[in-house]
Amino acid sequence: MRPYFEKMDSLGKELKKGEIKRTQENVEKVLGAEKEIEAAVDKVKNAGFSTEKINARGQMTVWQRLDYLVDEGTWCPLHTLFNPTENIEGTTNVIDGLGKIAGKWAVVIGFDNKVMAGAWLPGQSENILRVTDLAKRLNIPLVWLVNCSGAKLPEQEKFYANRRGAGTPFYRHAELEQMGIPVLAGIYGTNPAGGGYQSVSPTILFAHKDCNMAVGGAGIVSGMAPQGGFNVEMAEALVEKAKVHTAKPPGSVKTHYDATGFFRYVSDEEEGVLDGIKDYMKDMPAYNPKFFRVAEPAAPGFPDDDIMRLLPMDPKKVYSFDQILARLVDGGEHTEFRPDYGPEMYTGLCKVDGFLVACIGNRQGYLGKGYPEYADYPGIGGKLYRQGLIKMNEFVTLCGRDRIPIIWFQDTSGIDVGDIAEQAELLGLGQSLIYSIQQTDVPMMLAVLRKGSAAAHYVLGGPTANRHNAFTLGTAATEIYVMHGETAAVASYARRLVKEKEAGNDLQPVVDKMNELADKYHEKSRPLFCAQTGLVDELVSLTDLRKYMVAFTGSAYQNPKSICPQHQMILPRVIKG
Amino acid sequence: MAEDILAPLAGKIIKIHVAPGATVEEDDEVLIIEAMKMETPIFAPCDGTIKALKLKEGDEVEEDDLIAVIE
Repeated sequence: MRPYFEKMDSLGKELKKGEIKRTQENVEKVLGAEKEIEAAVDKVKNAGFSTEKINARGQMTVWQRLDYLVDEGTWCPLHTLFNPTENIEGTTNVIDGLGKIAGKWAVVIGFDNKVMAGAWLPGQSENILRVTDLAKRLNIPLVWLVNCSGAKLPEQEKFYANRRGAGTPFYRHAELEQMGIPVLAGIYGTNPAGGGYQSVSPTILFAHKDCNMAVGGAGIVSGMAPQGGFNVEMAEALVEKAKVHTAKPPGSVKTHYDATGFFRYVSDEEEGVLDGIKDYMKDMPAYNPKFFRVAEPAAPGFPDDDIMRLLPMDPKKVYSFDQILARLVDGGEHTEFRPDYGPEMYTGLCKVDGFLVACIGNRQGYLGKGYPEYADYPGIGGKLYRQGLIKMNEFVTLCGRDRIPIIWFQDTSGIDVGDIAEQAELLGLGQSLIYSIQQTDVPMMLAVLRKGSAAAHYVLGGPTANRHNAFTLGTAATEIYVMHGETAAVASYARRLVKEKEAGNDLQPVVDKMNELADKYHEKSRPLFCAQTGLVDELVSLTDLRKYMVAFTGSAYQNPKSICPQHQMILPRVIKG
Repeated sequence: MAEDILAPLAGKIIKIHVAPGATVEEDDEVLIIEAMKMETPIFAPCDGTIKALKLKEGDEVEEDDLIAVIE
């Protein structure tokens, strides 16, 4: 299939001097917004004890462990700012992402041992479930750095039980193992109760000599049956018991290496644990990339920092999606699917790191005379119309047939509305797209470049509407909401305004409420809000988008469960005609 | 040689960045048309001088209306 993929059509063009001049202000806005995100990330990294304090105890921090474990330049963090329950610690207390270990992609997650010795916190299990889902969707190993002191007891009611509570990861580990996805775990520190199951549920356990894991820790073992309260005499007795159990916590290496043999390996040094994981990763099932590559990897056709000029921070400004895509895919090359149909959507085949990927994105701006063909009003990019929906249904279905991973790019204000749009079947076609995506069993990722709004956020590969979205990225320009705040204010208060007017009342109090609602929408759609609540899995700088695309594509092709021989693909032939 | 700047779509001119006599370079943003809640920038098609501005901020335009002439 060399003729199809080795040299594809050129996409995009160099920026002109006028474009460079007039977009300088936008570059500064992007950098300013990205600086704000970096500051929030730094706060998470510096949560809890200092690195110096942890190192003085003879331990590495989770960040140092990750740095040692993951191949240089491959770490793509996820969920860094995820903190849906607004924990005062500023984190769910697990750090995770995609990275290569010994040359192979893995999903990696570790407890932050700087914060309450890696305790369970509210929101943490939801974070972990996103991670187990990611390993499942990409069919790549999950690597744990366990260092978990168990539940933060004063807040146990928020996370201990329930369907997606703190114990759920244990069966998710079992589920991954049943699917043939290995879970490797390096174990450090004291891991009682929940920490014990976090330690024992993976497939291969690499222990540090000072670690322990147990059904219950020293705190529980030294406790006593409830007696209706406490007094000083009981407290004195507790002190004596606690001294004994703290000195010799249950489930040490002596127990779980020498006696039970649960620990497969024990290392005297912290790095030794990580070396053991690296050594195992070399043997994890993975195709050589050449098995799937359609061309030699190549850099994008134009500088990636151009994207800061091309993606306007102002959501009302239009831009060229094709120009952005040219700066993200190998050689700025592509083969477009149905370029003369559904102009509001780009659908095409591109290469990332030499692998074939399908890209789908909203085009922006005026769509030209006579479009949409079913209406007497003009069409504008960002909205979805009949042809675009039909085209995407066809495209994703063919991608599924050819086993091509899909990368979605969203900047959408919604699906066309009104009775004319209903007659054009847009409601049914939107749901058809959800059906098509759901039956297209290939990994997908999404970058919400700017707006993710209305049902279009669902049907354009959004994480809400299918099981194939591995992860969703946001940018400094991202905003996600059901509709714009001012539209919502009109929808909520228009009838009230009519009533007040007819009654001869002052409209100002209603206007104040409308402004209040619009402001609330603005605040709760910002990038940091989206990351904190999990509407996106990570906020990335515009120049890092390509790095995540490389990680996604490499992971998707590392060990796919189903393959299509390149010479038997039908989509490239459909495009060629 | 003169080149016309035509409105590519119907809408309202919300911003004009140039005055008659101003020098522009190819791809400079000349004006912005707002339509369907979006702002569409209109760029200079070539280097030159704005010879005539036919409309002003706040004016409504129809598709293909003449907005300006660059010489």
